[in-house]
Amino acid sequence: MIRDRRVWLWFAPVMLVLGGVYLVPVADVIRFSFSDATLLRPVTGYGLDGYRAAYNDDSLGVVLRNTGLFTLLSVISLQAMGLAIALLLVRGDRRRLYGMGALRTIVLAAWVIPGIANGLIWQMLFSEAPFGAINSTLRLIGLAPVAWLSDPGNAMISAVIANVWQGSAFSMIVFYAARRAVDPVLYEAASVDGASPVAQFIFITIPQMRGALLVNSILVTIQTLNTFDTILALTGGGPGRATEVLSLNIFNRVFYSYDLGGGSALAVLLLAISMALTVIYLLVLMRKGAR
Amino acid sequence: MTPRMGDRLTYVAGIILAALFLMPLLWLVSLSLRTPAEVYLGAARFIPEAPTLDNFRLILTDRAFGTYLWNAVKLCALGALGAVIVATPAAYAASRFSFRGKGPVMVGILMVQMISPLVVIIPLYRYLDRLGMLESHLSVIAVYMAIGVPLSVWLIKVGFDTIPKALEEAAAIDGCTQFEILWRITLPLAAPALASAFILNMIMGWSQFLVPFILLTRDGQLPIAVAIYNFAGSSSASTTQLLAAACLVAVVPALAAFLALQRLIVRAIMAGAVKG
Repeated sequence: MIRDRRVWLWFAPVMLVLGGVYLVPVADVIRFSFSDATLLRPVTGYGLDGYRAAYNDDSLGVVLRNTGLFTLLSVISLQAMGLAIALLLVRGDRRRLYGMGALRTIVLAAWVIPGIANGLIWQMLFSEAPFGAINSTLRLIGLAPVAWLSDPGNAMISAVIANVWQGSAFSMIVFYAARRAVDPVLYEAASVDGASPVAQFIFITIPQMRGALLVNSILVTIQTLNTFDTILALTGGGPGRATEVLSLNIFNRVFYSYDLGGGSALAVLLLAISMALTVIYLLVLMRKGAR
Repeated sequence: MTPRMGDRLTYVAGIILAALFLMPLLWLVSLSLRTPAEVYLGAARFIPEAPTLDNFRLILTDRAFGTYLWNAVKLCALGALGAVIVATPAAYAASRFSFRGKGPVMVGILMVQMISPLVVIIPLYRYLDRLGMLESHLSVIAVYMAIGVPLSVWLIKVGFDTIPKALEEAAAIDGCTQFEILWRITLPLAAPALASAFILNMIMGWSQFLVPFILLTRDGQLPIAVAIYNFAGSSSASTTQLLAAACLVAVVPALAAFLALQRLIVRAIMAGAVKG
């Protein structure tokens, strides 16, 4: 144990950078949220007007509902897709099948694509013009076209699909690592006892990977809540407000309506949700570490 | 079910998944090689009959996309480098010394990683406006750096953890100072961890949209992610093939870097997800 205070010098650069770009601004966002400032006008008074206006706004209910739905559908689908691919890869590795590395590379490739490009690519795929990728394919095989982006319900599904295409790789890697850490003896014993693959999945794989599933679902939830660039490029939050999620709403409020107080009040909400999830995540990690 | 049948099912599922994940990119390539007339033929011309590179020529020369690419490389490379330089001393101290308050500080750094840049960009915009530092690449690089620091500290710490202390102790007996040990012995051995932190930061910076979109407005300064968003706003059905080419130009450098350095990146994601 070092008692010398100088040990903190090693942390000075990190403190300086994170303090300047995160801690001070976070404190200021909380201050702004209680003020009447706009993006260009300084604070002239403090009060709860920002909160009152933002939280009484009729649109907020819709936005929060969208956020909940988008996050829930995304988190479930991202993990289901990630888990399916991870288990497939592990099986392929074990049986020494060809092409498993290629599959992993293809899924990961989508992950490095910028969110904005992702939104634009899917906009071309979902395009409802007669020559749009998916709709013209449907027509080729004699099916009716689908209103992917102009129908409010479908637009939400489309946004989730685009998000899942890009994001599954993260869950895939986490689950791949977790699955490989499961003791193979468990599966051997189960096979000897005559357990079917489905039973092995339910009684060995899922319980053994419980920790990874929990940790990953929290991380993926935070990532989904905090990003909006795919939605911005794909639907712009529309049609109407059908795909406008909280982070996109804050972005629009502050940078298009110049409503700094209201935007900050909602940014504080976003921050509070992220931090609450992070605390749960840390508690989970500590419990895992203790065991 | 016999193992052979299981293998066949695995192959079928693998091929379907690979196709699902590959199709969007293939469609993008297909569109970017078409003439406007062929764009209107939709899926029937998935493989263009008269492929053309004109779209790329137009995008890279007329539209200044070369400048946008260079801006993006510059911003994310310097931001990533800065993050690694700032994170390394803290990571070393966290790996090698035990002292009061280390746990809370490391947890605090991890919590910062969970804060959306959207929350801090609002005040940052005002500070930079007051300081007259909007429209400056330096400001954007500083913010990229801060965004990359938390993950970098953790990744590099994990890297240092794997280097045996005995090597450093031997150097200390030979009379090296603490700084010499770090510079001459530990850092070279930690090169893979430093490299994966750098690359992961590069990829995150390449994807970054919000920060440059808010802090920069002059066209010649924009990185590629912002440029394609603006370009999409001004494009119509008749320029779909140009938008596709622009998207491809934005995506290919990230894909190329990823394909070249896949092992490092996968390891970094694993370490990042497991440790924080």
